[in-house]
Amino acid sequence: MKHSGAVSRKIIGNGQVGDHIHTTTVGLNPKPVKVRLQRVSKTFSAGSGTVEALGIIDLEIREEEFLCIVGPSGCGKSTLLNLIAGLEAPETGEVWCNGNPVTGPGPDRVVIFQEPALFPWLTVLGNVEFGLRLRGEGKARRRERAMDALRMVHLHRFGDAFVHQLSGGMKQRVALARALVMNPEILLMDEPFAALDAQTRDLLHAELQAIWAETRKTIVFVTHNVREASCLGDRVVLLTARPGRIKREFCVDQPRPRQIEDPGTISLARMVLADLKDEVRKAFKEELGNGDER
Amino acid sequence: MATNARRTLFYLALLMTWEVIFRLKLWPEFLFPSPLQVLQALIDGFSEQRYVAGIVASLRRIVVGYGISVLVGTLLGLVQARWRLVDETLGSLILGLQTLPSICWLPLALLWFGLSEKAIVFVVIMGSLLSIAIATEHGVKHTPPLLIRAAETMGARGLKMYVDVILPAALPSVIEGMKQGWSFAWRSLMAGELLFVSMGLGQLLSIGRELNDMSQVVAVMLVIIGIGLCVDRLVFARLGNSVRRRWGLQTA
Repeated sequence: MKHSGAVSRKIIGNGQVGDHIHTTTVGLNPKPVKVRLQRVSKTFSAGSGTVEALGIIDLEIREEEFLCIVGPSGCGKSTLLNLIAGLEAPETGEVWCNGNPVTGPGPDRVVIFQEPALFPWLTVLGNVEFGLRLRGEGKARRRERAMDALRMVHLHRFGDAFVHQLSGGMKQRVALARALVMNPEILLMDEPFAALDAQTRDLLHAELQAIWAETRKTIVFVTHNVREASCLGDRVVLLTARPGRIKREFCVDQPRPRQIEDPGTISLARMVLADLKDEVRKAFKEELGNGDER
Repeated sequence: MATNARRTLFYLALLMTWEVIFRLKLWPEFLFPSPLQVLQALIDGFSEQRYVAGIVASLRRIVVGYGISVLVGTLLGLVQARWRLVDETLGSLILGLQTLPSICWLPLALLWFGLSEKAIVFVVIMGSLLSIAIATEHGVKHTPPLLIRAAETMGARGLKMYVDVILPAALPSVIEGMKQGWSFAWRSLMAGELLFVSMGLGQLLSIGRELNDMSQVVAVMLVIIGIGLCVDRLVFARLGNSVRRRWGLQTA
C-alpha cells in the first residue's frame, strides 16, 4: 500500500476539548492541502430569530485524505459539507479548494446525498453520463467512461435499467458512479449509507474503500454513525453540539481494508462515542431548555 | 376479467332497461327513441358522411386551439415559475380567470372575431390554456430540490438546468395539466359549437334538436363521448401511467 503517510499517524487521544487542532501540526501526511476552511461560520434564520448552525471552524483537508465528520444531530455536519460543495455560502470566513475560493457548486466537488437523487427519467447509464453530457463530451467517449464508472461499482450489467427498478443500495452505487465519472477533485458524501440496511451498508463500505484505494480521491464523509466513521476514515473529526465546532480529531492508523467489526475500529469508535455522548447530552439539554423558555 | 364481465353485464342491463322503457310507450317516440333507433341514426349519420364531416370540423378546431394552448400554456407556466414578479401578478390573474367558465368568453370572442373559426378557437384556447399553465408552474415549482442540488454539483446551470432537469422533473405534472386541459378544451368546443352554428358535432346536436330528431341527438352525444373517452384513455391515461411509473411515482 502506498498509503504509508497516513498509517504512520497516531490517534490523538487527549486533545483539549473545544480547541482546534490543525492537522498540519499533526502527523506526517506529506500531501498538499486540498480544502481549507478558515474561520468559517454559518447561521440560519429560523422564524423570528437566527440559529447558529456552525461555530468558527478551521479545517484543512489534504489530498487523498479520507476524512469523516461525526457529531450529534443538528450540529451542522451537513452544513459543513454544503459549504465545501458551494451549495451554501459561509456567514464568515472562507472556504478554499485547490487554492481557489469556493463561490458555488461545481463538478470538481461532487456531492452524494443520503437520498440517491438520481434522475428517474434517465436510465442508469443516462444518469452516469449526465455530468459528462453537460460538459459536452462526445457520445462514444461518454459511454465508455460511464461504463467504466459503472464497472467500478459492479453495476455495468444494469446500464439500461431504470432507476425505479433498482434497490436502495444499487441506487446509491449509481450515485457513486455518477460522481466518480466526473473525476472530481473531492468526493463529498452526506450520510450516503444512512438509509440502507446493515448488510448493504457493510458491502458498500468495502466497495467505497476499494474505490478510494484505486482512485485516491479526497473524500469528505459525513455520518452520525461513529463506527462507520472509524471504519472508513484516515481521520475522524468530531463536532460539538450546535453551534458545531471541532471538538476533537482522531487519526486512524488501522490497516486497510477495514471492516466495521474489526477490533481496532471498535476501540476507536468507543473513544469517539464517549466524547460524542457528552455532546448529544448537551444538545438534548439545550432542546429541553429551549422548550422551557417557550 | 371479472371486472370486464361485470361491466358488460351492467351495460347490457342498461340497454335492456332502456328498451323496456321505450316499449312501455311512456313518452312519444320522437322524444324517447329506442336503442336500435339511435344505432340506426348513427349508421345513417356515418354513411351519409355528415358525422364524419362534423368530426373533422370539430377535431380541426380542437387541434388548433388545444395545440396553441399546450405551447403557450407550458411557456406561460415556465415563465411564471421562473420569475416571482410574473407569478405574483400574472399568476393571480390566471388563477382568477380559471374560475370563469370558458364559454363565457364566447360573446367577447364573437364581438372581436365575428362569426368565424377564430372565435371558436379562441374559446377553446381560453378553456385549456390556463389549466395547462397552472399545472406546468406547479410541476416546475415542485421539482425536488435535491435533484436540482445534485445537478448543480455536476455543473448544470441556467438553461441546461431547465432543459435537462426541471422540465423532465415537471413532466408528470405537465401531462396531468394537458389531460385536464384537453377535457376543458373539448367541453368548451362543444359548448361553443352549440351556441354558434357552423359545422362540427355541436352543430349536429343543434340540428337534431331543430328537427325534433332525438335519435340523432343521442347518437351525436354518443359520438362526442366516444371521442372524449378515446383521447382520454388511449392518449393521456397511457402517457400518464408510463411516465408516472418511470418517474417512480407509482408502483406496479
